[in-house]
Amino acid sequence: MKLLEIKNLSTDLGGEGHWQSVVKNISLTIESGQTYCLVGESGSGKSVTALSMMGLLPETKFRHPSGSIKLFTEDSAAGLELLGADYDLMRSVRGGKIAMIFQEPMTSLNPVQTIGDQLDEALQIHRPDWSVSQRKDRILAALKEVLIPDPENRIKEYPHRLSGGQRQRVMIAMALICEPALLIADEPTTALDVTVQAEILKLMGDLQSRYGMGMLFITHDFGVVAQIADKVGVMRHGELVETGNTGDVLRNPQHGYTQSLIAALPERLQRPSRPEKGHQTLLEVNDVAVHFPVRRGLLRRVVDHFRAVDGVSFQVNAGEIVALVGESGCGKTTLGRAILRLQDVTDGQILLNGQDITHLSAKAMRPLRRQMQVVFQDPGSSLNPRLPIHTSLVEPMRVQGIGANDSERTERAAAFLQRVEMPTNSLWRYPHEFSGGQRQRLAIARALVLEPKFILCDEITSALDVSVQAGILKLLRQLVDEDNIGMLFITHNMGVVDYLADRMLVMHKAKFVESGDTESVMQAPQCDYTRTLLSAVPRLDDEYLASVGP
Amino acid sequence: MTEQQLSSQQSQPSKPWSHQVGIALLKRHSARIGLLWIGILVIIATFSPFLASSHPLYMVMDGKVSSPLLMHLSAQDWVWLAAFSFVLLLVKWSRPLWQKLLLWTGLVIVSALVANAFASPPTLIIYEQYREMQAAGQLDKVIYAPIPYSAKDYLRDYANTGVEAPLEATERTHWLGTDENGADVASRMIHASRIALGIGFIATGIALVIGTIIGGLMGYFSGIVDIIGMRLVEIFEAIPTLFLLLSFVAFFGRSIYMMMVIIGITAWSGYARYVRAEFLKLRQQDFVQAAVACGLPLRSILFRHMLPNGLAPLLVATSFGVASAILAEATLSFLGLGLIDDPSWGQLLNQAVQSSTFNWWLAVFPGGAIFMTVFAYNLLGEALRDAVDPHTNRSRQA
Repeated sequence: MKLLEIKNLSTDLGGEGHWQSVVKNISLTIESGQTYCLVGESGSGKSVTALSMMGLLPETKFRHPSGSIKLFTEDSAAGLELLGADYDLMRSVRGGKIAMIFQEPMTSLNPVQTIGDQLDEALQIHRPDWSVSQRKDRILAALKEVLIPDPENRIKEYPHRLSGGQRQRVMIAMALICEPALLIADEPTTALDVTVQAEILKLMGDLQSRYGMGMLFITHDFGVVAQIADKVGVMRHGELVETGNTGDVLRNPQHGYTQSLIAALPERLQRPSRPEKGHQTLLEVNDVAVHFPVRRGLLRRVVDHFRAVDGVSFQVNAGEIVALVGESGCGKTTLGRAILRLQDVTDGQILLNGQDITHLSAKAMRPLRRQMQVVFQDPGSSLNPRLPIHTSLVEPMRVQGIGANDSERTERAAAFLQRVEMPTNSLWRYPHEFSGGQRQRLAIARALVLEPKFILCDEITSALDVSVQAGILKLLRQLVDEDNIGMLFITHNMGVVDYLADRMLVMHKAKFVESGDTESVMQAPQCDYTRTLLSAVPRLDDEYLASVGP
Repeated sequence: MTEQQLSSQQSQPSKPWSHQVGIALLKRHSARIGLLWIGILVIIATFSPFLASSHPLYMVMDGKVSSPLLMHLSAQDWVWLAAFSFVLLLVKWSRPLWQKLLLWTGLVIVSALVANAFASPPTLIIYEQYREMQAAGQLDKVIYAPIPYSAKDYLRDYANTGVEAPLEATERTHWLGTDENGADVASRMIHASRIALGIGFIATGIALVIGTIIGGLMGYFSGIVDIIGMRLVEIFEAIPTLFLLLSFVAFFGRSIYMMMVIIGITAWSGYARYVRAEFLKLRQQDFVQAAVACGLPLRSILFRHMLPNGLAPLLVATSFGVASAILAEATLSFLGLGLIDDPSWGQLLNQAVQSSTFNWWLAVFPGGAIFMTVFAYNLLGEALRDAVDPHTNRSRQA
């Protein structure tokens, strides 16, 4: 049965006479009981489309030059026109007939209201004739459905007591509490760990088949598409470039853009041949532990220690990429910061080229900083927004005494920009003028200008689109092979590990649970945790694609 | 963002952040009004001896050409003129703003030393002599400043009380009347604009330097440094500035420079709090961590990488701080504890209520000037807050 129909929808963004088209003439149909996935890279207009269905776009900044969005329900077989509908109609539709789940579970619940109150409010509005006890029963049932343990006590609690995954479950419960006909989910699992994501996706699939509702699922991740979608629409620059059944689109993409997106997935990238390496140990970490004291009481006495990293040992050889894999909060970033001496270690030893740097003073550390560099996760904050790229690149060289004068250093900086495939005129620009991927390239260039022997990459591609990520991964592999750099690559993406890493370390609850050659760990994981991690997100290799339904 | 947009953006030359803020600032009407008033004040303050002086600008006596006004320029006058011309010179110099500021401050200090050493106007001044000479017909030719009365040219001999309403006297023109000593109010107000501007900038400058350094160290190191620093901030916040000023004036006499310093060293705590909060936030940012990982020295990390990014709330607080420093001086003068002989707006305001009758011109004009100046700084601060906030900028463009 047809549930929602979008016809020739166009959306413009702007105001004050300047309009720019962000969604161009898209048409799609969602049926009851069906999951429709909108896939695309950031800025392709996926979220704008979802928000225009809910009438949530601010009217002063958005307009719809053409199109219609029709919702078909039992009482209106001819379809309710949602585009330009008045406020009262939209209010009865929102929450009641169409519900929405947002990306960020940390901010989508009101922090000053209990979970029970927040769930209750939707019921009060959409089911005004229900009694208090009826509503409470419904809330408990809804929380039970999304598998929240001990719902009786949970409804009295505030959102900060719940983990990200549980909050997202509460959001789902809230969306489903009035049994909507259509659920819009805008990247609901992007902010979650892979194992949690797998659980949430399974839960959403179960609930959907139980209620028989339609679902519009927005994502950028083809792994998620393969797991959950019946139909898929690929968006690019506001246009729907390809639609079809999930299996067909994934196995046999017709449009060039879809083909390039799938080819850019790290598990499908071409593996370059690698030169043979010697085994010269570059970095050695012995039994390193980082504990944070937990202070309580009036005198701030140390009552306990939070063990962020608890006795880990490994080594990185020159010309080798070691991947450090783990979920958020497992201590991988703290370990990285400890290796760079940005964080004091509690116990253990860090050796760089055989020299013990564990307890060197900040002053003694300064000349050694040149040998170990870092690239961070967030492209938005990894470069100083107030300085031109030139200063960001030249200043470290000046401090470390590389190059005779500034013009020589500028030349070097320009050369390194070329190596990271950026135009040399970027030197005189400011970070905000670049896209996320370009900024990460610049951050890599900043790390490279000091000619380090070791580079730490902390989730550097996780904020980027797949096609951009593919470019950065290729670049990293090339740099490591050419310059014989040792690299520790922190990530949670198994596809990236598979493509990039020579060896991998799996971290769980502050300890290493498994380590070894990438291939052997991937093929035959020894530890249960590694197996869960590997099965949580499918890798879209040929084998998996063959198993996806039509 | 489409590729087309991206490429068109890249073909444009990029502007540094300070330029962007400046452009965003000038787009706002409130900022234009505020800047216009402050600009007028600066020009009036710089050229005050040429605008209001009893000394003729140009005089021919017995065939001898002379300019008593230039002869009587004090060291302070020379410093103001020099500082103003340095600003004009440095505006065109293509260097970062902080380098210009530093050079300007240096030049002003040097010129202050030079002026104090060499400028020696006659100490005995008889304002009356020119008018007497003119009356006696000894002068062949004479040109006065637009307001031919100095700030301290007390015309006690002319009237019974001294206080005269605007344009009351027929033989002389006092546009804004005279005060209780018979001095021209317009002239005193023009000369007082220096104090209003000076106290605002110097007191706030002192507070800014102290606040930034202490706040920066607190925010960057946190821990024990932060605890000690915050206690220091609390101690200074507990000091009532006005009463401290009153007691210092009682003990050490009345000096405008002492007032500036006292206002400066009690007002820094607010700036320190702002800088500390910004630095606590920035310390965890990736680009700061990367700067540490590059082995950059602390000075560069603090002042080059962190401070410019935490400047926004400081700029706004500064413009409000200037306004409150002006008010503090006016309050003190109003209470009768300001400067004795030198003109100040608050002092004129004080005279309005002290005499037996209410002299409206002594209340309206200086009061209006104080109001307009504080208002201008507040307008500027308000506009600056919007201009440095990227969210308001974006919503304006969209």
